[in-house]
Amino acid sequence: MAILEVRNIEKHFGPTRVLEDISFSLEEGQALAIIGSSGSGKTTLLRCLNFLETPDQGTISVQGNVIFDAADPATQRESEIRKKRLHFGLVFQNFNLFPQYTALQNVTLALHLRDKGGKDREAIDRRGLELLGQMGLSDRAGHYPHQLSGGQQQRVAIARALALQPDVLCFDEPTSALDPELTGEVLKVIRGLAQQHTTMIIVTHEMAFARDVANQVIFMDGGVIVEQGPAQQVIGDPRMERTRQFLSRYAEN
Amino acid sequence: MLAFFSSPVTQTVLGALNEGFLRTLELFCITLIGALPLGLVIALGSMSRFAPLKFLRRAGQGRFLDKLLGFRPISLLCRLLVWVVRGTPLVLQIIILFYVPGMERLFSWPSGGKGRMLAVCIAFVLNYACYFSEIYRGGIQGVAVGQQEAGLVLGMTKSQIFFKVTLLQMIKRIVPPISNEVITLVKDTSLARVIALQEVIWMGESFMKGNRGISGLVWPLFFTAVYYLIFSGVVTILLSRLEKKLEYFR
Repeated sequence: MAILEVRNIEKHFGPTRVLEDISFSLEEGQALAIIGSSGSGKTTLLRCLNFLETPDQGTISVQGNVIFDAADPATQRESEIRKKRLHFGLVFQNFNLFPQYTALQNVTLALHLRDKGGKDREAIDRRGLELLGQMGLSDRAGHYPHQLSGGQQQRVAIARALALQPDVLCFDEPTSALDPELTGEVLKVIRGLAQQHTTMIIVTHEMAFARDVANQVIFMDGGVIVEQGPAQQVIGDPRMERTRQFLSRYAEN
Repeated sequence: MLAFFSSPVTQTVLGALNEGFLRTLELFCITLIGALPLGLVIALGSMSRFAPLKFLRRAGQGRFLDKLLGFRPISLLCRLLVWVVRGTPLVLQIIILFYVPGMERLFSWPSGGKGRMLAVCIAFVLNYACYFSEIYRGGIQGVAVGQQEAGLVLGMTKSQIFFKVTLLQMIKRIVPPISNEVITLVKDTSLARVIALQEVIWMGESFMKGNRGISGLVWPLFFTAVYYLIFSGVVTILLSRLEKKLEYFR
């Protein structure tokens, strides 16, 4: 059974239609890359999955349970949305670390807040350090975000998202705000996660990376899915003319 | 010089000025204690998205209907209050608050200095809360939306996000403009003399007309400046320390 099943998602901002009839599914342990030009709806799709936007139509199911149904207001209750969000983790383009907390505190804040009474205080901190270690940041645990490079900040953000053990980890252009020199370290970390079979959805402009790391690729344009399939095929040998145009323009740059 | 300060007249004057200054301090502290939190309430109120007529959305579309849908009574009320309070002089607010209840037989303030202090405190708290609320509003809206979204995605509640994420960032932003207002407040306390609250300026002036058997003295009034200078100096130092303290993050 697919861990994530998205059916017929549609989203409007006022009169503009940003997403139209978006359907796809994702198996556990697989990585899905979403590619496409700016404004094609990739980010909005991720935000819908994380309940930062509410789709106007469609359903989202996780492990066979419908967690969102646009036609059923009962699935949209504020208190439940907060719990359902935890199925997904989101790594933002511009990190959005909390500036007043250290790297470790950023990773553990949400866990500490859920740990009523503070019974697991030490275990949570140990887990936080472990995650930072996994990101190659053991020696940066006590640093504040402004003392870290962009690549380091993004890796802290990845550790923060992983701390809540989401079913699906989403990346919204994780390297777009970074210097070319710093993208490598972040991509390496994501690559490592893919090797450990973390279920991921990655919105990215790094085509070579998408081809290597993702199992599936979705190409979006104008709010619709133009083409989806195995990564090697969609990026290496696209069927649709629109995909080919997009990829060749990419190759030129 | 020493003879001047040890003379009985000077001693009496300084005693009276100290007494007046204590009243100034009292007003200053009460205003801050009351206005800082009340300002936050007004700020949150003016940002309130509570729109009781939103259910009319189902009725269809239209310009007039859109106006009704967007009717936010709490926000409107708060913004109206801020407009009136910031749009009229504080002196006038003190006078109205002190005299009108008695004139209209609504209620009467406790007699003597107590009633004056109470009325003045209420006027100051309300006035400064409105100014603070606008500073808070700017501070809250200035914190990037991404911070809230990051909190939401991590499964935090709205109040956790406010208290654990947004609040400190907001405080860091608002310390400089709030400092400005606090320094202004140091001096604004003197407006209370308009209803004869015996604060330090009132005391200084009283020795021209006659007080405690002394009259015709001008220097006590000028001397009150020393109190204000020392006081605002101390406040400035304290506030810049707070600013320094928050410099550990950006």
